[in-house]
Order: sequence, then structure tokens, then C-alpha cells
Amino acid sequence: MSINRRQVIRGGVGFGALALAAPAVIGQAKPRAVVIGGGPGGATAAKYIAKDSQGAIDVVLVEPTREFTTCFHSNLYLGGYRDFASITHGYDKLVPYGVRLNHQLANTIDRDKKEVVLADGSRLPYDRLVVSPGIDLKYDSVPGWGQEFEETMPHAWKAGPQTQLLKRRLDAVPDGGLIVMVAPPNPYRCPPGPYERASMMLHVLKSTGRTKAKIIIVDPKENFSKQALFQEGWEKYYPGMIEWIGPKIHDGIKSVDPKTNTVVTGFETYKDAALVNVIPAQTAGKIALNAGLANQTGFCPINPENMKSAQDANIFILGDACIAGDMPKSAFSANSQAKVAAMMVRGDLTGARTFPARYANTCWSLIETDDAVKVGGAYEPKDGKIAAASTFISQTGETADVRKQTQAENMAWYSAFVTDVFA
Amino acid sequence: MLGLSLVGPGLFLVPQAQAAGDRALGEYLSTTCVSCHRPDGQSAEGIPSIIGWPSDQFVAVLKAYRDKTREHQIMNSLTSSLSDADMDALAEYFGSLSRK
Ligand SMILES: Cc1cc2nc3c(=O)[nH]c(=O)nc-3n(C[C@H](O)[C@H](O)[C@H](O)COP(=O)(O)OP(=O)(O)OC[C@H]3O[C@@H](n4cnc5c(N)ncnc54)[C@H](O)[C@@H]3O)c2cc1C
Repeated sequence: MSINRRQVIRGGVGFGALALAAPAVIGQAKPRAVVIGGGPGGATAAKYIAKDSQGAIDVVLVEPTREFTTCFHSNLYLGGYRDFASITHGYDKLVPYGVRLNHQLANTIDRDKKEVVLADGSRLPYDRLVVSPGIDLKYDSVPGWGQEFEETMPHAWKAGPQTQLLKRRLDAVPDGGLIVMVAPPNPYRCPPGPYERASMMLHVLKSTGRTKAKIIIVDPKENFSKQALFQEGWEKYYPGMIEWIGPKIHDGIKSVDPKTNTVVTGFETYKDAALVNVIPAQTAGKIALNAGLANQTGFCPINPENMKSAQDANIFILGDACIAGDMPKSAFSANSQAKVAAMMVRGDLTGARTFPARYANTCWSLIETDDAVKVGGAYEPKDGKIAAASTFISQTGETADVRKQTQAENMAWYSAFVTDVFA
Repeated sequence: MLGLSLVGPGLFLVPQAQAAGDRALGEYLSTTCVSCHRPDGQSAEGIPSIIGWPSDQFVAVLKAYRDKTREHQIMNSLTSSLSDADMDALAEYFGSLSRK
């Protein structure tokens, strides 16, 4: 779709809406929206605010990287179903909508002055601020591990070089080698992600004849997302190659030793692993913590009607960083929340019409070639949180046709979704 | 509505059988749909294009998902909270888009 034509189509709505109500910000050339973070939350918000406000709002997207590698489908890269370039996206296509890109880190948020202080010391004033910095890793949550060991025991929970490192390490695992995954405690980004990752590792090992290799998942959780579906798939495709161990059995993840590739639990010590994948506990991105937007959980409470921070009505918090009630921390959720926030920003700044918030999410997971499952739902504000209005999940024992169709949907989703976020 | 007078080349309007839905509401609700269905009409195997449909057909399909005479987990879930007016609004919005 050409930009001109899009502007023509949107124009009717934009101008009509503008005429309806008085802008909330008076006596200033143009109201200003600043967005921190160019992931699915922030990039979507910046695009929709700019696109739908037709130049009436000045929109700046602050994001240090010029290319964004998506965590979503990074497991498919690990499994050999995608190449790295296909999960990496630039921001240039957002510019024609009116998004101004500022490629640096935001250091702090000065909430009193309503300014974002950037890494180079410059300040960006805002009328409304959207904060979508994703997660930060709690490097001290696994004893013995830390940032200095993320090359030896990669996390690959932020996509990029870590993802490529994990793949190289997987490819080097010998037949008979041991992989230990230390799974994260709740709440964390992408609930089914560790288990899809294990499935993709198994696919690679099996399809390269390394069927004597084994994966042990030591999990601090009693149970996990899509558990019955994953375990059915592991039994079917990868018998004897994977063991999931919950806290009742391992009695606590005591420590890891990156020098000897050892993982110690209360029950057993796993030595000389060929690969240890540590996925640590998580918090909202540091900038949100430092700005006082998080509570004791390490994530940020929001108003479910509009995605505004519970602490500051000039700030919206999206995606992994926020406490989104029944919605999981996913790219789909972040994108859905961003659309609500973008509408509310326009409502605040230009008087555009707003409608009651609605949210949606679906997360697909690939278990083996042509065998994918999904979980998701529709969500609405209720009783002070974002609550599930209706949910669904794939069934165990589904036909091969259904699973193949689900995988086709997964691939089609990715292509539509990255277009929605980045183009 | 102002939007109708701004129709440019390449944009066609589907004749409306009944009163047109609320396009602004439709545009907002459509933001959920376009996380999967591309608004430029391109489609991949697995997720069909939903633009430029006659509005009565569009609404009929959504209603079939809502009352589950047509089955699809995601569509059944998403339509469960849509009112008739929401469906008219979506039909109006997507019906006004054409393939690029
Ligand atoms: C292995 C794996 C698989 C996944 N699979 C799926 C899937 O299939 N489907 C799905 O929906 N989700 C999936 N996810 C989850 C998904 O990736 C995240 O939920 C999503 O990326 C969250 O988006 P976000 O905008 O909140 O944060 P992010 O995507 O993390 O984006 C945050 C951005 O903010 C920037 N930033 C941070 N701090 C600052 C600052 N101070 N100043 C400026 N910029 C800053 C960062 O550079 C980053 O680009 C997966 C995740 C993982 C790890």
C-alpha cells in the first residue's frame, strides 16, 4: 500500500476526529509523544500514533539499535527453519508515517519536567510518554552465574548475538552430549518459549543423527505453559532424549559453575554439560525501574482501561515491562496493548475518538516439522486488571492436518505481524 | 462522512446493503485483526485476506464464528465479544480497503 493512498484513506478519519474535540494540549505548536523502546510494543505504538494522527502529533521513537532481531521465531532460527536475516528488521519504514527515529539509549525519565534524558545528555520533552523497554535479566538470580558468564552459559533471552551463539553451541554438541536448560521462574517473557526452544534443540539433534544427546530441563516451576502438548510431542518425536524436572524432584537449583559446565540441584549434580542454557529471572527494563514505575514485583502496574502507568497518567507502559493481568508477556500482547495506548495518546493529545480497550493474544509453538500448537485469548479490562474474556488452547491428540495448518498459520502470522510492527 | 469524499484512485467502495457501520470504530477494532491479516490484501497460506469483501458476507462469516457454526479457535475466541454493531463497523472498514 502506498503511503499516499494510506494517507488519503486515513485522512477522512483523522481530520473528522480532530474537528470533534478540543486538543488536551493547548498553546503549543504540536503535542509531543515520545516512545522508549523499538520492540513490538514501542514500534507499534510509534507507528500507530504517527499514522493515525496524520502529522498532528510529533512522534519520536528512542531505540539504541538500528536493527531489531525478534525473539519471536528465534527458536525457529535455532531449529534451522529460518535464517537470521529473516528475523531481523530495520526501522526505516516507520519514517514515512511521521516517526522520527533517535538511535540512542534513554538514560532517565524526568517525570516532573516531563522530559526523557538521552545517553548523550540531550533532553526530549514529552506530553505523553510510552515506555516499552522489554525485560532486564536478573543476573544474580542463579547462584554462580552472572553477566560475565553469559558467553559460557548463554541465555539467548534477548535476541541477537546471544541467539547466534546458542545456535553455534547447539551445533557443536556431540552425540551423547548433555544439554542442561535452567528454566526461569514466573513471571517471564514468553511462557512457552523455553519449551519450544527445547523442542527445536531436539529437532536439530535428532535430524543430525545425535539421538544419544540428551536435554535436561531443571525448572523452578511446578508446571509450565502448554505442558501436556509439549510432553506429548516430546514422547512422540524424541523419546528418551529429554527429561523435565520440576522443583518437587530437583529440590532447588542450587548453583551453576561456568568453569566446569556444572549445574547443581538439591537432587543431582549435572557435570561436564556440552551446553548450559541459563534463562534467569526477569524484571521490567531498567529505565522503568529507575523511573519508579515498577512495584515490588519488578514489573509496572497499569490501568487496564488505557495502558497508563498506575503511577503517572502521562506515561503508558507496554509489553513485557507491564503487569498485564491475564495476558502473557508476548510480542502479540505488546502489539495489542500498543494499539490501545496509541488510541488513548491520540485521545489525550488531539481529542480523537476513543473506544473501550480490547486486547488479544495468540502464541504458536513449533514442536517438530509441521507440528505446531497454539494458545491464546481475547482480553478486556475487568475488576482493575486485564482479564481473559475467552481463551483457547490446542488439544492433545489433534490430527497431523490440524497441526500442519497451525504451523502454516504461525508462519503467516509472523509475516503479517512484522509488517504491522515495522512497516 | 468526510472519508467518503476523499476516496482516491484505486480505492473502491463496496455497495452497502444496509446502513453502513461506524468506520472509526471499525478502524480501531481492525487493529486486532491486522496483527495476523495483512491490510494490504497480501495473504500467505494459513491466513486469508479479509479486505474488500461485500459487507453482508463479511458479517455473515463473523457471525458464523461467533455462534461457532464455523470453527476456528482464534476466530471463535475473538468474535465471542463482538456485538453486531462491532461486526458492521469492521465490515465497513475492511470492505473499504482494496488490494495493493
Ligand atoms: C525465545 C523466545 C521466543 C519468543 N516467541 C514468541 C512468540 O512466538 N510469539 C510472541 O508473541 N512472543 C514471543 N516471545 C516474546 C517476545 O519476544 C516479547 O514478549 C516481546 O519482544 C516484548 O516486546 P516489548 O516491546 O515489550 O520489548 P522488547 O521486544 O524487548 O523491546 C524493547 C526494546 O526497548 C529497547 N530499550 C530498552 N531500554 C531502553 C532504553 N533505556 N532506551 C531506549 N530503548 C530501550 C531495547 O533495545 C529493545 O529494542 C518470545 C521470546 C523469546 C525469548
